[in-house]
Amino acid sequence: MSDFLSAYSIQNWLESCPQGYLADTEYGHAPGQKEPELVLDNPTLLRDTIRTTVQLVVGERCALAASSGLINAAPDHPSKTFLATQTLDEARHVEIFTQRLYDLGVKKSELENTIAEYANPNLVKFAEVLLEKVDKGDFVAGVVGQNIVLEGMAFSVFEMLHAAVGGANPKFANTLSGTIADERRHVGFGENRIGSLIKQHPERKADVEKMQKDMAYHMLATFSSQFAQSGNAMSVGQRMSQAAAESGADAPAPAKWHGADLATATPEEMEAVLSDTVLKEFKIRLGRIGIEYQTPTAP
Amino acid sequence: MSDPHDLPQEVFLDEVHSFEFWFQAVAGYLTERPHGHDPNAEEVAISPSRREALITTLCNYAIGETAALEASSGMIRFAPNRRAKIFLATQVVDEARHLEVLLHRLSELGVTNHEEIVQSRANRSLLAFRKRLLQFVDGHDWEAALFAQNVILESMEFAVFQAHAELADPITGEVLTGIIKDERRHMGFGENELGRRLADTPHIRARLQAVKRELDPLVLDTFEDTLEQVGVDRGDRPALGRRYIASVERLGFGL
Repeated sequence: MSDFLSAYSIQNWLESCPQGYLADTEYGHAPGQKEPELVLDNPTLLRDTIRTTVQLVVGERCALAASSGLINAAPDHPSKTFLATQTLDEARHVEIFTQRLYDLGVKKSELENTIAEYANPNLVKFAEVLLEKVDKGDFVAGVVGQNIVLEGMAFSVFEMLHAAVGGANPKFANTLSGTIADERRHVGFGENRIGSLIKQHPERKADVEKMQKDMAYHMLATFSSQFAQSGNAMSVGQRMSQAAAESGADAPAPAKWHGADLATATPEEMEAVLSDTVLKEFKIRLGRIGIEYQTPTAP
Repeated sequence: MSDPHDLPQEVFLDEVHSFEFWFQAVAGYLTERPHGHDPNAEEVAISPSRREALITTLCNYAIGETAALEASSGMIRFAPNRRAKIFLATQVVDEARHLEVLLHRLSELGVTNHEEIVQSRANRSLLAFRKRLLQFVDGHDWEAALFAQNVILESMEFAVFQAHAELADPITGEVLTGIIKDERRHMGFGENELGRRLADTPHIRARLQAVKRELDPLVLDTFEDTLEQVGVDRGDRPALGRRYIASVERLGFGL
């Protein structure tokens, strides 16, 4: 165990993250990059972009509370050290997505009201399930909830958003690239560290599986309501991209993600492909640590 | 980076408590110093008794840094605002780095069983301080936890590390100098945050004075023990004690 944990040292983190892929960035992107006018000038797109970004802030605030709260429950120094790097990663994510809200025109004085207005209640419940475990100092359930379920969800959502905005919004795409690199490290720690703990404490499996089922339910409910609210904005964005392409403008190439054509997919198709992708990943990752994926009831 | 002190108060606080500020601040002194020191620096010979004393001192520094890691991470959940949470996240990684470089320094001195040796050489007063600090954290007592950690503990470490860095072998001195730069930032946060709270709600002063009275004997005992180990002359110790007291006095808490 100590050998694999040595890869998660502060020294390695400093060299790979702040001194590596974040070097010469500000708020996660190249200095001077801005949100596209297409988004800033269209009220429907702007509102939907703010709503989506609020969900990212809510998710990252939960991750910050969970990773910091798990440090004192960690059974060894190397795990505490890794969680310290994760804590700062999550704080950085809170900061960069909050900054994005400011870049989209949200005033600092209106930040908390904006978050309260747009935060998806299902995502808040998802966070509550996890933070209840953290508050009890339950390291095994906390790391599965945080580093497998929450991070696994975030990883797929960020990848989908990255594919969707790619060429049209290089600023946000850059911001997402750094967070995806972080999430990959967090998921790796979760799989490696918890696998051995589950083997030592098989009696914990049932409780952890119940938590996973509850979190998966709230996650699917979040996807469902988010895509239901984004339908209008998605069609506006697709129509504008199509018009730009027909006029001969230098439009980015249509993006595909897990077989879905993001330029033409309906909200229902997007929800289905995202849910399928996340759940497939859950099953693989949970299987690696000896947990059997539990299917939630349909929200 | 332009001088943040030129910024309006609210913008200043956002700036100095951000990841971006932390990133810029640490880049200068951590780049090309893996484990806190120049990798090409050569060990100087030290006598077996001095080596043993150094190991005991570093073990107690590791306990102090572990306490700070556990406290700062626990405080994020109940910090009163986003900028305090983000600042504390930078402090969490600073404290974890301090612990890591101190344990690495112990390895360089030939120590293999870190956990065991750190516990066996722990100063009882420092352990008692850690226990009390974590009680404040577990009780979500923001003012007391912040005061105990970012003012008292950080001020004590700042004064001791400064004194030790002047007398230590070059590698230990370089490691401590890097840590001191972080401690300065942590103390600044504690003084600034508590200073504003004291101005707005003066009644918390009496409670913090009681916290200080409770912790002072533990701090001073740890202080005396550590200065003895690092070889500070008895006559110089009062001056070092005054460095600690000066930090606390900036908030209006005299001994």
